[in-house]
Amino acid sequence: MSKKHKISLSEDELILSLRNREKIAIEALYDMYSASLYGVISRIVIDTAIAEDVLQEAFVKIWHSFSSYSTEKGRLFTWMVNIARNLAIDKIRSKDFKNQNKNQEIENNVTSIDEQRNTAYKPELVGVKDLVQTLKPEQKSIIDLIYFKGYTHVEAADELGIPLGTIKTRLRMGIQQLRKHFN
Amino acid sequence: MEEIKAYIETGILELYVLGDVTPDEKLQVEAMALKHPAIKAELDAIERSMELYAQENAIEPAENLRSRILGSTLTNLGDDNNFTAAPSHQESDSYDDEDNVTALPVRTGNNFYKYAFAASVALLIASTIALLSVYNRLQDTNGQLLSLQLQNQHFTNRVNLMNRELSVFRDPSFKLLKLQGTAKNPTMAVTLAFSAAKKKVMIDMSNVKLPQNDKDHQYQLWALVGGKPVDLGVFDATKDSTDMKEMKSIALADAFAVTLEPKGGSINPTMDQMMVLGKF
Repeated sequence: MSKKHKISLSEDELILSLRNREKIAIEALYDMYSASLYGVISRIVIDTAIAEDVLQEAFVKIWHSFSSYSTEKGRLFTWMVNIARNLAIDKIRSKDFKNQNKNQEIENNVTSIDEQRNTAYKPELVGVKDLVQTLKPEQKSIIDLIYFKGYTHVEAADELGIPLGTIKTRLRMGIQQLRKHFN
Repeated sequence: MEEIKAYIETGILELYVLGDVTPDEKLQVEAMALKHPAIKAELDAIERSMELYAQENAIEPAENLRSRILGSTLTNLGDDNNFTAAPSHQESDSYDDEDNVTALPVRTGNNFYKYAFAASVALLIASTIALLSVYNRLQDTNGQLLSLQLQNQHFTNRVNLMNRELSVFRDPSFKLLKLQGTAKNPTMAVTLAFSAAKKKVMIDMSNVKLPQNDKDHQYQLWALVGGKPVDLGVFDATKDSTDMKEMKSIALADAFAVTLEPKGGSINPTMDQMMVLGKF
């Protein structure tokens, strides 16, 4: 599959053209961030079709409420990923979604369990392997629960049976590791 | 400076970047970041590393999603108040591109048959119950109809009988004769109707006042013609008979008598068994 040429702008250029409501801005935004955002969304929302809908809702919301973003509050991606994550969490906590999940057919469970456990082959995750080695498992599980599964640190403490203080410490240590790794 | 370091150590900045803070905490972190460049720098470093971590975990969405999403944002361009839900997922979207998105099997077909089956079973049960109740009602109705028919027949019989009685009583050629009990049996009585013109003798069975005969004996009616007894046939005295019983025909008679005879009757009357007697 030929990867089409993707538009890439510096963050400052991108923010400027988004403010000016330029068509190229939303295209650049999609090309630069859709995969990262989709990575978060599709770990929270397992169903592909629904995850795609959430991604779409996220972009529509980012585009329409861009005026509420300010560079002083932090990086663009941080703002966007919070929007995407909240939409994904809203979706799986909505009544419709819960009902739908309860009604999952037994015969379809094989594939959904594969999906849930990420045993389906995902080539883009190959690079993550060496990253796993830089993060201790207990750090990674906390980061992933909060960042990719949308847990609060209180819920993560419950889920893992670890005191709240330890959760915060491990989260901080894990992110320190990531910072070292990416430098 | 120590204070800032302690603040960083609490881990609140990480939670802020992960979007896991209360609105109050959020405002507090933003205020701190404005005031202290060190905190701002720390935040920025955390954000960058999380952004890179997200990139490492990125999943490329399906190719066809790009135009769909760009289309949906651009069609709403200039209408900032439009936050309507995104268009629902299209069935026609194909997943056959060799990308990372694995399509789950379509479930609707399965569901359809399941619901159809459940609906059929429910319908079957409902029909069976309805059928049973209708069948029961039909049985009831049949029973009622049968008893009504019996009753109807009973009344028809009675009406016929009464018609016959009436026609006998109305016919001027019939004369009614009451046979009175003999000196031995003063309470007994038999009423009969005799028409010389029609040569008919009938006993009004509802008015027979004779003891019930046993199965070896029967009552026999005699006509006395010129002093000689003539056999007019036998009859039984039962409590529930209502008929006008027609006896053998005779044109002329001076008197009538009833005797108790062995079953089937006798050629000559047994005179000491004479029950009732009546003369014109």
